[in-house]
Amino acid sequence: MRILLLKIMLICAMPLNMLAQDASPAIDGLLAKMNSVQDYSVQALITSDIPMVKILPSNATIYFKQKDKFKIDSKGIAILPKQGFTDIAKMLEDKESYTAMMMGTETIGSTKADIVSIFPISDTSDLVLAKLWIDTARDVVMKSQITTRSSGTVSIVYSYGNQVKWGLPDKMIFTVDVKKFKIPKGVATDINKTRTPDPNKPASKTGEVKIELSNYKVNLGIKDQVFSKK
Amino acid sequence: MSDKMIEVRNLAKSFGSFEAVKDVSFTVNRGDVFGFLGPNGAGKSTTIRCILSLIAPDKGEIFLFGKSMAGHRAEILKKVGSIIEKPDFYKYLSAERNLEIFARISGVHSSKKEIRAMLDFVGLAGRERDKVSGFSHGMKQRLGIAQTLLHNPDLIILDEPTTGLDPQGIIDIRNLILRLQSEQNKTVLLSSHQLSEIEIIANRMVIINQGRSVIEGEVAQLLNAEELIVNIEVDQPDKALSAITLNFPDVRVHEVDGSRIQIITDKSRIPELTVTLTNQHIGIYAIESKRKLEDYFIKIVSN
Amino acid sequence: MLLKSTRNEFIKIAAKPRSYLGLVAVTILVGVILFALKADGMSFISFVTASFEQTLSFEGNILNGNLVAFIVLQMLVIHIPLLVALVTGDLVSGEAAMGTIRMLATKPISRTQLLLSKFLAGGVYTLLIVVWLGLMAVVVGKLLFGSGDLMVLNSDGLVILQEADINWRYIGGFAVAFLAMLTVSSLSITLSCFSENSIGPIVTTMAIITLFIIIGTLDVSIFDSIRPFLFTTHMAAWRSFFEDPLPKDDIIRSVVILLAHNVVLVLVALYTFNKKDITS
Repeated sequence: MRILLLKIMLICAMPLNMLAQDASPAIDGLLAKMNSVQDYSVQALITSDIPMVKILPSNATIYFKQKDKFKIDSKGIAILPKQGFTDIAKMLEDKESYTAMMMGTETIGSTKADIVSIFPISDTSDLVLAKLWIDTARDVVMKSQITTRSSGTVSIVYSYGNQVKWGLPDKMIFTVDVKKFKIPKGVATDINKTRTPDPNKPASKTGEVKIELSNYKVNLGIKDQVFSKK
Repeated sequence: MSDKMIEVRNLAKSFGSFEAVKDVSFTVNRGDVFGFLGPNGAGKSTTIRCILSLIAPDKGEIFLFGKSMAGHRAEILKKVGSIIEKPDFYKYLSAERNLEIFARISGVHSSKKEIRAMLDFVGLAGRERDKVSGFSHGMKQRLGIAQTLLHNPDLIILDEPTTGLDPQGIIDIRNLILRLQSEQNKTVLLSSHQLSEIEIIANRMVIINQGRSVIEGEVAQLLNAEELIVNIEVDQPDKALSAITLNFPDVRVHEVDGSRIQIITDKSRIPELTVTLTNQHIGIYAIESKRKLEDYFIKIVSN
Repeated sequence: MLLKSTRNEFIKIAAKPRSYLGLVAVTILVGVILFALKADGMSFISFVTASFEQTLSFEGNILNGNLVAFIVLQMLVIHIPLLVALVTGDLVSGEAAMGTIRMLATKPISRTQLLLSKFLAGGVYTLLIVVWLGLMAVVVGKLLFGSGDLMVLNSDGLVILQEADINWRYIGGFAVAFLAMLTVSSLSITLSCFSENSIGPIVTTMAIITLFIIIGTLDVSIFDSIRPFLFTTHMAAWRSFFEDPLPKDDIIRSVVILLAHNVVLVLVALYTFNKKDITS
């Protein structure tokens, strides 16, 4: 119900010429580009700056195969946001489940991007709201902001290099919600700890994960066994 | 080299308010088999423990080989072997292993062969690998003797070494001590309740009572110094008894057993007594006079 | 003579059945923990990372030998002192009870050397227990679970340490853990000098450890001044090796306090043992 009210308010707030602009071409262009990639593998360097988590940059290999096979292979432990890799494509594919509206444009760097808001139709959907900044000239997402009930808001900023023709970024910066992070008592057994957290230090509400992607191998064929191996 | 192997001077030791030793003094000379006597609770064990530095005395001085323990402890104890009360061993170890352990810290290197020879010497041949937990009291005593002798000490201190032994065992220990003294010139301090054993093997002794030295000296001299028990074996015991009673009213008749009459008298009366019996044509088969240590001991401690 | 006496102590320790109790107990305890983690270790990890997993996903071999070894060490920190005290608490009082102390004390070895040899032997036994624990936890853990980065949960958050950066931390951690257990060994031997029965020093050692742990965990200001000096406060100092950045000052402080405890305990024991009248 709240979602419906929100939509109505946004529609009422929009200038008339905006209402006339359909977001479909932007989304269709985006989807076409995404679907042109049958499979890829890429080397990822993951750097995290998340409150209450200390981890050095780690390396991983990411595999993807249409429609929704996805795997991250890491020798060490890697921490990644739960959302952001295949969620946009999955979300956009099911056109019956959402309403997309053009909300204006924004210049990111030197690139002009159309802002598209995605509203789920169902009230029970995990998705609350998604916002995409789409470079329609290259049919790639420049920035996204996805709010879900389960994970809060995840913002992603994309940078592109050689693989822009496939719509594959060479850098993604995730900003995640961290206020739900808690340390379970009784498990952290640093007994007799004399240090206590600095009460004057403000607790950060967001954390950042930066993924640098390189050495893409696109549409070279990946066996299904890769996704089933432990 | 000092001839005084042990010298104890005015030793005193209390445990709280209890005075275990008040004033004990004695000297043990080289080559002595020295009897250390006293009733239960007299302070014998406490004195021996003070000598061996198990207990620190409150007063007095102790010298072994002419030296004080302070500063010379290791040097002195290398030459001393001892058993205090009952010998205790590591029950979970074999006889051989026990001896090996004690030998190692006695300043000697004893090979397996030497250890086995020692076990053989004390009558434990073939038992070297057996755990001490399975040993009888007598076997542990023998093992204790082995432990005492393994490093060839000059001075041996034995506290009740024959306790719990059978008669043969007692004889064996007695003979061993005599051999150690005569053949190897070892000095032995022997504390025992077996007064008959002390009487046989000790040449010098001290008697202590209630924490104090009472008397010290040559065993023979001390026993012969006072009244004697005289056994007279005669052919006419009734006639002899009458003659003694009539002519020697100061002589006490202790016992009459067949042809043997036992009397208590001063040593000086014996020649006269012999002449009297002979003059009355009483045939004398034997006259034996001695002072029993047991009697002497009881007299001393009860005074 | 000190080394000869120490050799004797090794022989005695090796011959006593209770000496193997510690090793067997460690083997069984670690075995049970490894089995449980192999059966359902991921549930344990999920419990720890639950609140993070709403937003983040953890990729890679999390339940690996390094983490398993860490969990084993955390769980056994209270049990190892008992296994150590069981043997070391008996080293002097056991001899008094058996009567062998008077046999030893009449030998040409000073009481100081005799007692120091017991401390040395007790220390080596403690080292054996700690090394065995390490082998079981780290080596067997890695054989069963493989290797990988280590995820440690502290009171201020998760720390993920890279695999190549872990081995030296375990070595340092075990060294400090050994020092902590050596303090337990020294305490029990010292208490053993005051007793003539085997069980008293062992029970008293555990009672002291329990009492100090309670004082350490009670959030009461009256104990604030003594808490940093209790040796039990530093028994978990090995965990400091798994923090990033490494709290060097904390580690050094713990090492100094534990060493000081050992020195004081040895001196008290030497004084008592040298002055003691051996009447047993």
